[in-house]
Amino acid sequence: MGFLLAIIAAIFFPGIILRVKSTASGRKGPGILQPWKNIRVLLRKGSVISTTTSYISRIAPVIYLSTILCALLLLPFPGVPPIIAFEGDFVLFAYMLALGKFLFMLGAIDSGNSFGGMGANRKSLFSMLAEPAFFILFGSMALLTGYTSMQQIVESIQLVGYNSFIIGALAAYVLIQIAIVETSRLPVDDPNTRNATTMVDGVMILDFSGFDLALIQIGTLLRLAMYGVLVANFLIPAGWPVLTRIALFIGVQIAFASMIGLIESFRARKKLSKNPQFIISLNVLALVAFVLVLLINFKMIGK
Amino acid sequence: MVELINLSWIIPLFAIVVISIIPSKVKPYVAVAAVILGSLATGWLAVNALISQVVDFAFYAGTFLGNVPIRIDGLSAWFILIINFTAVTGAIFGTGYLKAYQNSSSKLALHWSLFVLFHFSMVWVCILQNGFAFLIAWEIMSLSSMLLVIFDHHNSQTIKAGINYLVQMHLSVVFLTVGFIWVYSQTGSLSFDSIRTFFQTNSNRWLFLVFFTGFGLKAGFIPLHSWLPHAHPAAPSHISGVMSGVIVKLGIYGIIRMISYLQSDFILLGEIIITLSVLTGIYGILNASVHRDFKKMLAYCTIENIGIIGIGIGIGLIGIGTQSPLMYFLGFGGALLHVLNHSLFKSLLFYSAGSVYQQTHTRDMEKLGGLFKSMPKTAFIFLIGAIAIGGMPPFNGFVSEFIIYSGLIEGIHTDSIYQIMLMIMVLAGLSVIGGLSVLTFTKTFGTIFLGQPREIPQHKPHEVSTLMLVPQYFIIAFMMSIAFLPQVFLNIIKVILDGMSHPGFIDSISISFYSKTAANIGLYSLFFIGLMGMIWLIRSSVMKRRRMATGTTWGCGYIAPNNTMQYTGKSFSKPLGKIFTFLLIEKKRFKELKPGEIFPEKRNYDSHYLDFFEFNFIETITKYLIKWSGYFRFIQNGRTQSYVLYGIVFILLLFLLTIFNIIR
Repeated sequence: MGFLLAIIAAIFFPGIILRVKSTASGRKGPGILQPWKNIRVLLRKGSVISTTTSYISRIAPVIYLSTILCALLLLPFPGVPPIIAFEGDFVLFAYMLALGKFLFMLGAIDSGNSFGGMGANRKSLFSMLAEPAFFILFGSMALLTGYTSMQQIVESIQLVGYNSFIIGALAAYVLIQIAIVETSRLPVDDPNTRNATTMVDGVMILDFSGFDLALIQIGTLLRLAMYGVLVANFLIPAGWPVLTRIALFIGVQIAFASMIGLIESFRARKKLSKNPQFIISLNVLALVAFVLVLLINFKMIGK
Repeated sequence: MVELINLSWIIPLFAIVVISIIPSKVKPYVAVAAVILGSLATGWLAVNALISQVVDFAFYAGTFLGNVPIRIDGLSAWFILIINFTAVTGAIFGTGYLKAYQNSSSKLALHWSLFVLFHFSMVWVCILQNGFAFLIAWEIMSLSSMLLVIFDHHNSQTIKAGINYLVQMHLSVVFLTVGFIWVYSQTGSLSFDSIRTFFQTNSNRWLFLVFFTGFGLKAGFIPLHSWLPHAHPAAPSHISGVMSGVIVKLGIYGIIRMISYLQSDFILLGEIIITLSVLTGIYGILNASVHRDFKKMLAYCTIENIGIIGIGIGIGLIGIGTQSPLMYFLGFGGALLHVLNHSLFKSLLFYSAGSVYQQTHTRDMEKLGGLFKSMPKTAFIFLIGAIAIGGMPPFNGFVSEFIIYSGLIEGIHTDSIYQIMLMIMVLAGLSVIGGLSVLTFTKTFGTIFLGQPREIPQHKPHEVSTLMLVPQYFIIAFMMSIAFLPQVFLNIIKVILDGMSHPGFIDSISISFYSKTAANIGLYSLFFIGLMGMIWLIRSSVMKRRRMATGTTWGCGYIAPNNTMQYTGKSFSKPLGKIFTFLLIEKKRFKELKPGEIFPEKRNYDSHYLDFFEFNFIETITKYLIKWSGYFRFIQNGRTQSYVLYGIVFILLLFLLTIFNIIR
């Protein structure tokens, strides 16, 4: 279910972001499916392959996309178990994404220009700094619910009591920020900039073209949607009927997409050297969630 | 059984004699044969110990030592098998690696006889269960490995690294000796069983910490790690592979062996080890990420992995202390599995790094680049090693890290708020280690193998010989078997851990559950590879129908790019280094531009990173040591007369002491 929802979300999500951005800047804007139309064009195009590159940049897009598809298999949705779920599967989820990033970065460095390395370096630094936030968050959730599989965590988080909504909201906020870091959106990276020296993701795909570029872009869109599903899981009460939840899910997705669109319309990018501080502050927020969980848990146990 | 044990020392001795007399062309092959035969002998015993019964007997070794017990239990067997596998691959790889030295007969004779001796002593370290005999084997191991490190002894840096290693290993022996003497003074016996008796009647923590310091020096926990980054780059690559893969693990063997005798203080010691280990891991990988010497980087990376293993050991100890069999299993199980995994992928990485060094004669990654095109097989091997060591699926590194993560998550479910906080912090720390190792290996692989050569090499690099590639393929095959069938290895580990704990402590239900989870991971990895293959097939069938063009890399409008304009490894890790300036000490040497200088002359800029602990502590201590020992220099003045005088004074002293009945 999580897999299907993520695919559906991925189809509309980027279009909504684009639409919100164009509306905010007073333009009419393209159709909702425009990003996918672009990808379709790319899929049909031929490629230009740099003489510098090796086999790595051929396999990198393939591995990148397959890691994200594999990670999607683990994506939870309350009530409907995902295709694979087991104890501690969030570790696998995070490491699977790390593998994709690793190959993506190698593919960027493979082009042999100075920009690929620049983007890869930022990407690896930022995602390294954001990693603990994800783990602290899910560790706290495991502590709160007593389960360690993502599916069971999202199913039982609301059973803890009313306090869990605070935690759910906080977790959703941290996850949104992680998503922004991981998919290189504002305020960490400006997807619209044309200045190669300040890009993160944009500069890494400079030497990919045609089918390969399309694979990478599909991967990135799926990734964004994947985080959207995770966020929704923490916001939607698991006990409600499935149809209501799906309706709510759509609502949350649209809200998430508009939020990203609005942020990108009205905010400037952070100075690149300030980004590490911003990301480390995410870890602090995750720690706050952890302390909240401790408070709730130990009040209930009676210590 | 006894015959096999006897074979394990007869074969090396025989081989050493043979190696010294035969022509140098055949020497390596004899050594390989000896290592393989010795491995088969002890490997058979080890497999027996794992399947059915513990091999256990004693031999009489003179009046002082008495009966020396020899025992191969599960723990020894596990390490023996690891040693044997790595030693065999190392010997085969070394045969190809040292081809260039075929004419220096004496050098090769010494090298290969030492290698055989080295393998033999490592195995015996795991077998002997008497303090004194253990120390003898330990010492043979340290000395032979030191002599192997200084293979290239014309280089002053190598000699320096060798001496550094020698001194630190003897510091380790001092601690171990103190530990064994302490036990002897309380129980009157040197056998390992008396350590248990000691722990039953005395305070546990201090003796354990003495042993931990001794073994920790070998294993490379901070702040005792400083020999690793010197010794590993200096040694020939097959030696660094075996050292990093196995010798360092024997420190871990010692620690786990001592833990199996512990009687109390589990939680305290567990907390100490787990904290130290997280710091070791983060420190190791942080340093690894900034160094440009790729073998030094691998050495630091070993320190990081020792940290990960240590986290597992700490979880296991806390598991014993809190009576949680699952934590015990996940902690020690993860640690033991990671010992195996790390010995595989680290030797793999060292071998492929050695292949690069053999072809390019430099360890400086900033001079390399684009090797993927000239050495594609080595590049792929290094890539697989890098993915595995970063703990990423679908390789074996993920399996053991996942088990350690599971142990941490299991540790969260407790009533003790301190333990929860510790576990969450370690969880965060371990994820930082994972993220940093991705960064480190992106940088290393990217700089060495991708892009274009940064300097024109003197000889064009080629792919290395099949003799060097085959052992690496074997290692990869072994790694894959762990990745796809982790449950098999977990079941073996369960046997080992059952033997270590008191019977019935491990509850089989929850553990068989984990081997099911592990099987899931194996299937998932297979599925991932299948999916990848499918997308690749789609891509290649589509690509056939598309118009393909080749061109130069797009330089953002700049039309005359050259190779020095590529991103360097140094700039890759610079932003990270800037965040951690308090740990990563950067020393720069350059001349500032003077204000009135109109035509600047040629300048040099040199920057390198120093080891925090070495620079701040060890060097300060050595400086004062040298200063104070300088005051006693007058004793060794080179005059024969004074030396005769010392002799007379000594005899007089003995005489007087005996007369006055002070010594008898």
